[in-house]
Amino acid sequence: MSKDTDPLPINTGYGPENGPIDYAFKIITEAAPPKARTNGQLVVCASSELPPGQKRIVNEGSLSIGVFNVGGTFHAIKNVCPHQGAPLCEGSVHATHAPSDVNEFDPCLHGRIVRCPWHGWEFDVVTGKGLYDATSRVATYACEVDADGDVVVLI
Amino acid sequence: MAIANLPIIDCDIHPSATRENPVDPFVPTDFKEAIRQGMSGQPGAGYVNPFGVQRRDARCDDPYETARDHLDKYGITYGVLQPPGMKVGLIHQLDVGSAMARAWNDWQINTWLATDKRFLGSVCINPNDPDAAVKEIYRVGKHVQMVQINLSGEAQDLYGHRRYFPIWQACQDLNLPVCLHPGYEGSLNSVTPIGRPSTYFEWHTVIPLTFQAHLVSMVLEGAFEKFKNLKLVLCEGGIAWLCHTIWRMDKNFKALRAATPWLKRAPSEYVFEHLRLTTQPLEEPEKPEQILQIFDMIHAERTIMFATDFPHWDFDDPAKVFPKKMSEDLKQRIYYKTAAELYGLRVEAPALPEPLLAAGLPAR
Repeated sequence: MSKDTDPLPINTGYGPENGPIDYAFKIITEAAPPKARTNGQLVVCASSELPPGQKRIVNEGSLSIGVFNVGGTFHAIKNVCPHQGAPLCEGSVHATHAPSDVNEFDPCLHGRIVRCPWHGWEFDVVTGKGLYDATSRVATYACEVDADGDVVVLI
Repeated sequence: MAIANLPIIDCDIHPSATRENPVDPFVPTDFKEAIRQGMSGQPGAGYVNPFGVQRRDARCDDPYETARDHLDKYGITYGVLQPPGMKVGLIHQLDVGSAMARAWNDWQINTWLATDKRFLGSVCINPNDPDAAVKEIYRVGKHVQMVQINLSGEAQDLYGHRRYFPIWQACQDLNLPVCLHPGYEGSLNSVTPIGRPSTYFEWHTVIPLTFQAHLVSMVLEGAFEKFKNLKLVLCEGGIAWLCHTIWRMDKNFKALRAATPWLKRAPSEYVFEHLRLTTQPLEEPEKPEQILQIFDMIHAERTIMFATDFPHWDFDDPAKVFPKKMSEDLKQRIYYKTAAELYGLRVEAPALPEPLLAAGLPAR
């Protein structure tokens, strides 16, 4: 009997290049900025009323959007969790830990991660990317400060 | 000899009951049967099947007889031994435990493995002394018939604890899966998280709790990230619990990933890649084909390997244990292909007698 064998190959799709969490973090660093979809815009508030670390939720009809001030720039994501429709932006805002070696912690994305209030799933408010798998994404909206000094969301 | 003029009171004398002076006549009638069945649950007695662990119609103490009465009888190409030495981790004195591990390994090699090439051995180690365990893995693990490391489900810590990492490193370096087998749960700790069951029946039913805990520990502590080629076999612990465990782990992962940032993929992906379960004792649901639904939920074509547990009381007969509707592909995966891959074995399909070949019937 030999320990050499012709292993029956199974394509498991398992390899470092396919790691869904690494991929999610890659998206976060490489995603393109959001674009306006229509000519519409929502005025949120005066930019002085939304300092860094704060957030505001604005509603227009059935559309609900969370606007976040992350270190001085404004970002907006849809206020609906892709899991079960929870009001995502009512969750708390955090840093998180990047993928790392075993028993190491690498804090990152300070002030960029919102945790859904219903189940704690993490989303990056800048790219809308869910941190827990390869494909989840929340819609993002372009956000700017207009000539009057108001934060506006381009929808 | 008495001391003159000095009375003595002895405060500790041990009488025994004997055949001539038995205690049985004094045991109340309503407890006679329970005690006869060994359900007195004395501390240190362990949990024993009151009707016997071994089958009455089979034995497995002679390699020649077992080769004839079991391997030949069922057409078994390879049989993986689960030796008594899995329990050496329960011995308090470390060096005695390690010495017993060596003894059980030498016994396997010189008696069973030497007798028949179809017998494959499991390396016993003392997990409480990682240095000694690694030495033993290197001493006998390269023997061509040694295919895995053997440990009891009962342990001082859950097996994801980092104290065991040097052992997993050696397992990975020698391409040897680690196999957990139940039997001594309740020796160091309780078999349940809360308290100690009263009967073997309770104990045997809840053994999968231990395996569930070890699996979750190994996955979430990153053992399969740190040791990307490490494989875990959970033997004789049942199958259906795995569905619940992977679903609950995956759901929690979506919320709690930042607490275990070394996990680069969902916990279930690690399970499908690194875990194997053995079939015996296979659950028998209300409708036999429901077990096929369970197989579907846990990717049985990757994760399940056949076992008989010969010669114990809950034996699974290879020809009788699976529902008829099981597909040929899945049968081949479970009966031999998954184990062949895991243990690096070359397997040819057994030759059919000529009349069956002429009839165009497929090999089993």
